Amino acid sequence: MKRLALTLLAAVALPGIAHAQATDTATADVGVSGTVARLCMLGTPTPAPVDVGQMANTSGARVGRIAVIAPRTVTLPGSFCNFAGSAITVTATALVSNDASAVEPGFAKAVNYTAEVTNWAAGSATVTTAATAGGGSPTASATGPTQPAPKVADLDVTLSNFTAPSDFLLTAGAYSGLVVVKLGPVASGGE
Amino acid sequence: MKTSILAAAAVIAATAALPAAAQNATGTVTINGSVADRCQFTLPSDVINAGELSLQGSGATAGKLDPSKLDGQSRTLQGWCNGTAATMSVEAQRLVNTTFTTTPPAGFDRVVNYTATATANSANATDTSVTDGAGTAVPVGLFTGDVKVTLSGSSSPTSGLLVAGDYSGQVLVTLTPSVTPAP
Repeated sequence: MKRLALTLLAAVALPGIAHAQATDTATADVGVSGTVARLCMLGTPTPAPVDVGQMANTSGARVGRIAVIAPRTVTLPGSFCNFAGSAITVTATALVSNDASAVEPGFAKAVNYTAEVTNWAAGSATVTTAATAGGGSPTASATGPTQPAPKVADLDVTLSNFTAPSDFLLTAGAYSGLVVVKLGPVASGGE
Repeated sequence: MKTSILAAAAVIAATAALPAAAQNATGTVTINGSVADRCQFTLPSDVINAGELSLQGSGATAGKLDPSKLDGQSRTLQGWCNGTAATMSVEAQRLVNTTFTTTPPAGFDRVVNYTATATANSANATDTSVTDGAGTAVPVGLFTGDVKVTLSGSSSPTSGLLVAGDYSGQVLVTLTPSVTPAP
Protein backbone atom coordinates (compact mmCIF):
# COMPACT_ATOMS: atom_id res chain seq x y z
CA MET A 1 0.00 0.00 0.00
CA LYS A 2 2.85 2.42 0.61
CA ARG A 3 4.13 1.94 -2.88
CA LEU A 4 0.69 2.69 -4.32
CA ALA A 5 0.35 5.83 -2.30
CA LEU A 6 3.68 7.15 -3.58
CA THR A 7 2.62 6.56 -7.14
CA LEU A 8 -0.54 8.60 -6.67
CA LEU A 9 1.39 11.49 -5.18
CA ALA A 10 3.63 11.62 -8.19
CA ALA A 11 0.66 11.72 -10.49
CA VAL A 12 -0.80 14.70 -8.65
CA ALA A 13 2.49 16.55 -8.54
CA LEU A 14 3.16 16.42 -12.24
CA PRO A 15 0.20 18.60 -13.25
CA GLY A 16 1.37 21.06 -10.62
CA ILE A 17 4.64 21.52 -12.46
CA ALA A 18 2.77 22.17 -15.67
CA HIS A 19 0.79 24.99 -14.06
CA ALA A 20 3.92 26.63 -12.77
CA GLN A 21 5.21 26.85 -16.33
CA ALA A 22 1.92 28.37 -17.43
CA THR A 23 2.65 31.59 -15.56
CA ASP A 24 5.14 32.78 -18.20
CA THR A 25 4.35 36.45 -18.59
CA ALA A 26 6.12 38.41 -21.25
CA THR A 27 6.93 42.08 -20.87
CA ALA A 28 8.21 44.48 -23.49
CA ASP A 29 9.09 48.12 -23.27
CA VAL A 30 9.14 51.13 -25.53
CA GLY A 31 11.39 53.83 -24.20
CA VAL A 32 10.15 57.36 -24.74
CA SER A 33 12.57 60.24 -24.58
CA GLY A 34 12.75 63.87 -25.53
CA THR A 35 14.52 67.08 -24.73
CA VAL A 36 13.61 70.64 -24.00
CA ALA A 37 16.22 73.15 -25.02
CA ARG A 38 17.15 76.10 -22.83
CA LEU A 39 14.97 79.01 -23.80
CA CYS A 40 14.41 82.60 -22.71
CA MET A 41 11.69 84.87 -23.96
CA LEU A 42 10.98 88.53 -23.34
CA GLY A 43 7.46 89.90 -23.50
CA THR A 44 6.54 92.72 -25.83
CA PRO A 45 7.54 96.08 -24.23
CA THR A 46 4.48 97.98 -23.13
CA PRO A 47 4.28 100.88 -23.67
CA ALA A 48 6.87 101.45 -26.32
CA PRO A 49 8.34 103.65 -27.54
CA VAL A 50 8.67 106.00 -24.59
CA ASP A 51 8.24 109.68 -25.24
CA VAL A 52 9.42 111.86 -22.34
CA GLY A 53 8.22 115.03 -24.03
CA GLN A 54 9.77 118.42 -23.42
CA MET A 55 13.01 117.92 -21.56
CA ALA A 56 14.12 121.52 -20.99
CA ASN A 57 12.60 124.15 -18.75
CA THR A 58 10.96 126.88 -20.78
CA SER A 59 10.76 129.36 -17.93
CA GLY A 60 12.08 130.06 -14.47
CA ALA A 61 15.51 130.01 -13.01
CA ARG A 62 16.51 126.91 -14.95
CA VAL A 63 15.17 127.96 -18.28
CA GLY A 64 16.92 126.10 -21.06
CA ARG A 65 18.30 123.52 -18.64
CA ILE A 66 16.94 120.05 -18.09
CA ALA A 67 13.58 119.88 -16.37
CA VAL A 68 12.43 117.36 -13.86
CA ILE A 69 11.35 114.39 -15.94
CA ALA A 70 9.10 111.87 -14.28
CA PRO A 71 10.30 108.27 -14.30
CA ARG A 72 8.84 106.05 -16.97
CA THR A 73 8.14 102.35 -16.58
CA VAL A 74 7.91 99.87 -19.42
CA THR A 75 6.66 96.35 -18.74
CA LEU A 76 7.79 93.19 -20.54
CA PRO A 77 4.99 90.78 -19.60
CA GLY A 78 5.39 87.02 -19.42
CA SER A 79 9.15 87.02 -19.78
CA PHE A 80 10.73 83.70 -18.87
CA CYS A 81 13.72 81.40 -18.85
CA ASN A 82 13.06 77.68 -18.58
CA PHE A 83 16.32 76.84 -16.82
CA ALA A 84 18.25 77.75 -13.71
CA GLY A 85 21.06 80.25 -13.89
CA SER A 86 19.89 83.18 -15.98
CA ALA A 87 20.57 86.90 -15.79
CA ILE A 88 19.51 90.17 -17.32
CA THR A 89 21.86 92.45 -19.13
CA VAL A 90 20.60 95.98 -19.72
CA THR A 91 22.29 98.24 -22.23
CA ALA A 92 21.21 101.87 -22.29
CA THR A 93 22.09 104.54 -24.78
CA ALA A 94 21.67 108.15 -23.67
CA LEU A 95 19.18 110.40 -25.37
CA VAL A 96 21.27 112.21 -27.97
CA SER A 97 20.19 114.96 -30.29
CA ASN A 98 19.56 113.79 -33.81
CA ASP A 99 21.41 116.94 -34.99
CA ALA A 100 24.94 115.86 -35.75
CA SER A 101 26.33 119.35 -35.41
CA ALA A 102 28.94 120.01 -32.76
CA VAL A 103 27.69 121.73 -29.63
CA GLU A 104 28.85 125.12 -28.50
CA PRO A 105 30.49 125.51 -25.08
CA GLY A 106 27.95 125.58 -22.28
CA PHE A 107 25.52 123.46 -24.24
CA ALA A 108 24.78 119.73 -24.20
CA LYS A 109 23.14 117.59 -26.83
CA ALA A 110 22.74 114.51 -24.61
CA VAL A 111 20.53 113.52 -21.71
CA ASN A 112 21.68 110.74 -19.44
CA TYR A 113 19.40 108.51 -17.42
CA THR A 114 19.27 105.40 -15.32
CA ALA A 115 17.65 102.22 -16.64
CA GLU A 116 16.69 99.64 -14.04
CA VAL A 117 15.22 96.21 -14.79
CA THR A 118 13.46 94.65 -11.83
CA ASN A 119 11.46 91.54 -10.89
CA TRP A 120 13.87 88.94 -12.14
CA ALA A 121 16.55 88.12 -9.59
CA ALA A 122 17.13 89.16 -6.00
CA GLY A 123 18.49 92.49 -7.17
CA SER A 124 17.91 94.62 -10.21
CA ALA A 125 19.99 95.12 -13.32
CA THR A 126 20.82 98.81 -13.28
CA VAL A 127 22.89 101.02 -15.53
CA THR A 128 23.32 104.79 -15.80
CA THR A 129 24.51 106.36 -19.03
CA ALA A 130 27.40 108.82 -18.99
CA ALA A 131 27.34 110.54 -22.36
CA THR A 132 29.44 113.65 -22.79
CA ALA A 133 27.96 117.04 -23.59
CA GLY A 134 28.75 116.43 -27.23
CA GLY A 135 26.97 113.10 -27.21
CA GLY A 136 30.06 110.94 -27.03
CA SER A 137 30.20 107.57 -25.26
CA PRO A 138 26.45 107.36 -24.89
CA THR A 139 26.16 103.65 -24.22
CA ALA A 140 26.60 101.77 -20.97
CA SER A 141 25.80 98.23 -19.95
CA ALA A 142 25.38 96.17 -16.80
CA THR A 143 24.35 92.65 -15.85
CA GLY A 144 22.11 91.90 -12.93
CA PRO A 145 22.32 89.10 -10.39
CA THR A 146 21.73 85.50 -11.26
CA GLN A 147 18.27 83.99 -11.09
CA PRO A 148 18.87 80.51 -9.65
CA ALA A 149 15.69 78.83 -10.89
CA PRO A 150 13.46 78.76 -13.94
CA LYS A 151 11.24 81.81 -13.77
CA VAL A 152 8.39 83.50 -15.52
CA ALA A 153 7.64 87.12 -14.61
CA ASP A 154 6.61 90.53 -15.82
CA LEU A 155 9.80 92.56 -16.06
CA ASP A 156 9.68 96.24 -15.27
CA VAL A 157 12.11 98.60 -16.96
CA THR A 158 12.17 101.93 -15.18
CA LEU A 159 13.82 104.97 -16.75
CA SER A 160 14.68 107.69 -14.25
CA ASN A 161 17.25 110.19 -13.06
CA PHE A 162 17.34 112.19 -16.29
CA THR A 163 20.28 114.62 -16.28
CA ALA A 164 22.24 116.73 -18.73
CA PRO A 165 26.05 116.50 -18.77
CA SER A 166 27.37 119.23 -16.47
CA ASP A 167 23.80 120.51 -16.30
CA PHE A 168 24.52 122.46 -19.48
CA LEU A 169 21.84 124.12 -21.56
CA LEU A 170 20.18 121.63 -23.88
CA THR A 171 20.38 122.25 -27.58
CA ALA A 172 17.05 122.31 -29.34
CA GLY A 173 15.91 119.41 -31.43
CA ALA A 174 14.69 115.86 -31.27
CA TYR A 175 16.54 113.41 -29.07
CA SER A 176 16.48 109.66 -29.16
CA GLY A 177 17.92 106.90 -27.05
CA LEU A 178 17.62 103.16 -26.69
CA VAL A 179 17.32 100.55 -23.97
CA VAL A 180 18.12 96.95 -24.83
CA VAL A 181 17.22 94.21 -22.36
CA LYS A 182 18.76 90.80 -22.82
CA LEU A 183 17.75 87.74 -20.86
CA GLY A 184 19.85 84.60 -21.06
CA PRO A 185 22.21 82.16 -19.39
CA VAL A 186 24.76 83.58 -17.02
CA ALA A 187 27.64 81.85 -18.76
CA SER A 188 27.09 83.90 -21.89
CA GLY A 189 26.72 87.16 -20.07
CA GLY A 190 23.00 87.35 -20.49
CA GLU A 191 23.09 86.98 -24.24
CA MET B 1 10.03 -50.46 -25.31
CA LYS B 2 7.07 -50.01 -27.60
CA THR B 3 5.11 -48.37 -24.88
CA SER B 4 7.92 -46.01 -24.21
CA ILE B 5 8.08 -44.92 -27.85
CA LEU B 6 4.35 -44.18 -27.94
CA ALA B 7 4.54 -42.16 -24.83
CA ALA B 8 7.23 -40.07 -26.33
CA ALA B 9 5.20 -39.49 -29.47
CA ALA B 10 2.19 -38.36 -27.46
CA VAL B 11 4.23 -35.76 -25.68
CA ILE B 12 5.52 -34.40 -28.92
CA ALA B 13 2.03 -34.29 -30.44
CA ALA B 14 0.58 -32.48 -27.51
CA THR B 15 3.26 -29.83 -27.59
CA ALA B 16 2.81 -29.25 -31.28
CA ALA B 17 -0.91 -28.65 -30.84
CA LEU B 18 -0.48 -25.73 -28.32
CA PRO B 19 0.08 -22.78 -30.77
CA ALA B 20 -3.20 -23.40 -32.49
CA ALA B 21 -5.05 -22.66 -29.24
CA ALA B 22 -3.29 -19.24 -28.30
CA GLN B 23 -4.97 -15.66 -28.46
CA ASN B 24 -3.43 -12.40 -29.85
CA ALA B 25 -2.28 -10.02 -27.15
CA THR B 26 -2.00 -6.22 -27.58
CA GLY B 27 0.20 -4.08 -25.44
CA THR B 28 -0.40 -0.29 -25.25
CA VAL B 29 2.02 2.54 -24.62
CA THR B 30 0.17 5.77 -24.04
CA ILE B 31 2.07 8.93 -24.96
CA ASN B 32 1.11 12.07 -23.11
CA GLY B 33 2.48 15.59 -23.36
CA SER B 34 1.43 19.13 -22.66
CA VAL B 35 2.11 22.66 -23.82
CA ALA B 36 1.99 25.21 -21.10
CA ASP B 37 0.21 28.48 -21.59
CA ARG B 38 2.85 30.98 -22.54
CA CYS B 39 3.41 34.41 -23.99
CA GLN B 40 6.62 35.74 -25.37
CA PHE B 41 7.95 38.82 -27.08
CA THR B 42 10.28 38.12 -29.95
CA LEU B 43 10.93 41.83 -30.43
CA PRO B 44 10.75 43.10 -26.86
CA SER B 45 11.97 46.68 -27.00
CA ASP B 46 12.14 49.82 -29.06
CA VAL B 47 12.73 53.51 -28.52
CA ILE B 48 10.82 56.66 -29.38
CA ASN B 49 13.09 59.68 -29.39
CA ALA B 50 10.74 62.61 -29.71
CA GLY B 51 13.44 65.28 -29.86
CA GLU B 52 12.59 68.82 -28.81
CA LEU B 53 9.35 68.71 -26.83
CA SER B 54 8.58 72.41 -26.50
CA LEU B 55 7.01 74.78 -28.96
CA GLN B 56 9.45 77.10 -30.65
CA GLY B 57 8.94 80.58 -31.99
CA SER B 58 7.93 83.67 -30.04
CA GLY B 59 4.18 83.28 -29.62
CA ALA B 60 2.22 82.99 -26.42
CA THR B 61 2.69 79.23 -26.39
CA ALA B 62 6.46 79.27 -26.92
CA GLY B 63 8.21 77.06 -24.41
CA LYS B 64 5.13 74.95 -23.69
CA LEU B 65 4.60 71.34 -24.75
CA ASP B 66 4.32 70.68 -28.46
CA PRO B 67 1.82 67.79 -28.44
CA SER B 68 2.67 66.82 -31.99
CA LYS B 69 6.05 65.58 -30.82
CA LEU B 70 4.49 62.65 -28.96
CA ASP B 71 0.96 62.23 -30.28
CA GLY B 72 0.83 59.70 -33.10
CA GLN B 73 4.25 58.27 -32.38
CA SER B 74 4.19 54.48 -32.66
CA ARG B 75 6.50 51.50 -32.55
CA THR B 76 5.78 47.90 -33.42
CA LEU B 77 6.91 45.10 -31.17
CA GLN B 78 6.39 41.44 -31.93
CA GLY B 79 5.25 38.56 -29.80
CA TRP B 80 2.86 35.71 -29.32
CA CYS B 81 0.61 33.92 -26.91
CA ASN B 82 -0.38 30.29 -27.32
CA GLY B 83 -3.45 30.27 -25.10
CA THR B 84 -6.92 31.39 -26.04
CA ALA B 85 -7.44 33.26 -22.80
CA ALA B 86 -4.24 35.32 -22.85
CA THR B 87 -4.51 38.97 -21.88
CA MET B 88 -2.58 42.12 -22.62
CA SER B 89 -2.06 45.22 -20.52
CA VAL B 90 -0.06 48.39 -21.01
CA GLU B 91 1.47 50.82 -18.56
CA ALA B 92 2.39 54.34 -19.64
CA GLN B 93 5.10 55.85 -17.48
CA ARG B 94 5.28 59.63 -17.73
CA LEU B 95 8.21 61.50 -19.18
CA VAL B 96 10.15 63.17 -16.39
CA ASN B 97 12.92 65.72 -16.61
CA THR B 98 15.99 63.80 -15.51
CA THR B 99 18.29 66.81 -15.35
CA PHE B 100 16.07 69.13 -13.32
CA THR B 101 14.83 67.04 -10.44
CA THR B 102 13.46 69.57 -7.97
CA THR B 103 9.96 70.97 -7.81
CA PRO B 104 9.61 73.53 -10.58
CA PRO B 105 8.53 77.10 -9.85
CA ALA B 106 4.99 78.22 -10.55
CA GLY B 107 4.31 78.39 -14.26
CA PHE B 108 6.63 75.50 -15.12
CA ASP B 109 6.25 71.75 -15.56
CA ARG B 110 8.90 69.03 -15.56
CA VAL B 111 6.55 66.18 -16.40
CA VAL B 112 4.82 65.19 -19.63
CA ASN B 113 1.86 62.83 -19.51
CA TYR B 114 0.39 60.82 -22.36
CA THR B 115 -1.82 57.87 -23.19
CA ALA B 116 -0.33 54.65 -24.56
CA THR B 117 -2.33 52.15 -26.57
CA ALA B 118 -1.08 48.66 -27.38
CA THR B 119 -2.82 46.84 -30.21
CA ALA B 120 -2.46 43.12 -30.87
CA ASN B 121 -4.82 40.67 -32.49
CA SER B 122 -7.39 43.49 -32.92
CA ALA B 123 -7.42 44.09 -29.16
CA ASN B 124 -6.54 47.48 -27.70
CA ALA B 125 -5.11 47.99 -24.22
CA THR B 126 -4.71 51.57 -23.03
CA ASP B 127 -3.27 53.42 -20.09
CA THR B 128 -2.66 57.02 -19.14
CA SER B 129 0.48 58.07 -17.36
CA VAL B 130 -1.50 60.49 -15.20
CA THR B 131 -2.20 57.63 -12.80
CA ASP B 132 0.41 55.13 -11.71
CA GLY B 133 0.22 51.48 -12.67
CA ALA B 134 -1.02 49.56 -15.67
CA GLY B 135 -4.37 49.96 -17.33
CA THR B 136 -7.05 47.29 -17.51
CA ALA B 137 -5.96 44.04 -19.12
CA VAL B 138 -7.88 43.05 -22.23
CA PRO B 139 -8.29 39.58 -23.79
CA VAL B 140 -5.86 39.10 -26.62
CA GLY B 141 -6.19 35.35 -27.12
CA LEU B 142 -4.13 33.16 -29.35
CA PHE B 143 -1.98 35.23 -31.66
CA THR B 144 1.43 35.75 -33.12
CA GLY B 145 2.60 38.91 -34.72
CA ASP B 146 2.66 42.64 -34.20
CA VAL B 147 2.07 44.46 -30.94
CA LYS B 148 1.76 48.08 -31.98
CA VAL B 149 2.31 50.77 -29.36
CA THR B 150 0.86 54.22 -30.10
CA LEU B 151 1.07 57.44 -28.06
CA SER B 152 -1.66 60.08 -27.86
CA GLY B 153 -3.14 62.81 -25.71
CA SER B 154 0.13 64.27 -24.44
CA SER B 155 -0.05 67.11 -21.94
CA SER B 156 1.81 68.70 -19.07
CA PRO B 157 0.24 68.96 -15.61
CA THR B 158 -0.39 72.71 -15.61
CA SER B 159 0.00 73.42 -19.33
CA GLY B 160 2.97 75.47 -18.19
CA LEU B 161 6.40 76.12 -19.59
CA LEU B 162 8.59 73.04 -19.73
CA VAL B 163 11.79 73.17 -17.73
CA ALA B 164 14.80 72.67 -19.96
CA GLY B 165 16.53 69.31 -19.84
CA ASP B 166 16.34 65.68 -20.89
CA TYR B 167 13.03 63.87 -20.48
CA SER B 168 12.58 60.12 -20.21
CA GLY B 169 9.66 57.73 -19.81
CA GLN B 170 8.58 54.32 -21.05
CA VAL B 171 5.67 52.17 -22.09
CA LEU B 172 5.49 48.66 -20.67
CA VAL B 173 3.41 46.06 -22.47
CA THR B 174 2.61 42.84 -20.64
CA LEU B 175 1.26 39.68 -22.20
CA THR B 176 -0.16 37.27 -19.65
CA PRO B 177 -1.07 33.68 -20.55
CA SER B 178 -4.20 31.96 -19.34
CA VAL B 179 -3.54 30.10 -16.14
CA THR B 180 -5.89 27.35 -15.06
CA PRO B 181 -6.12 27.12 -11.29
CA ALA B 182 -4.41 24.03 -9.98
CA PRO B 183 -6.86 21.37 -8.78
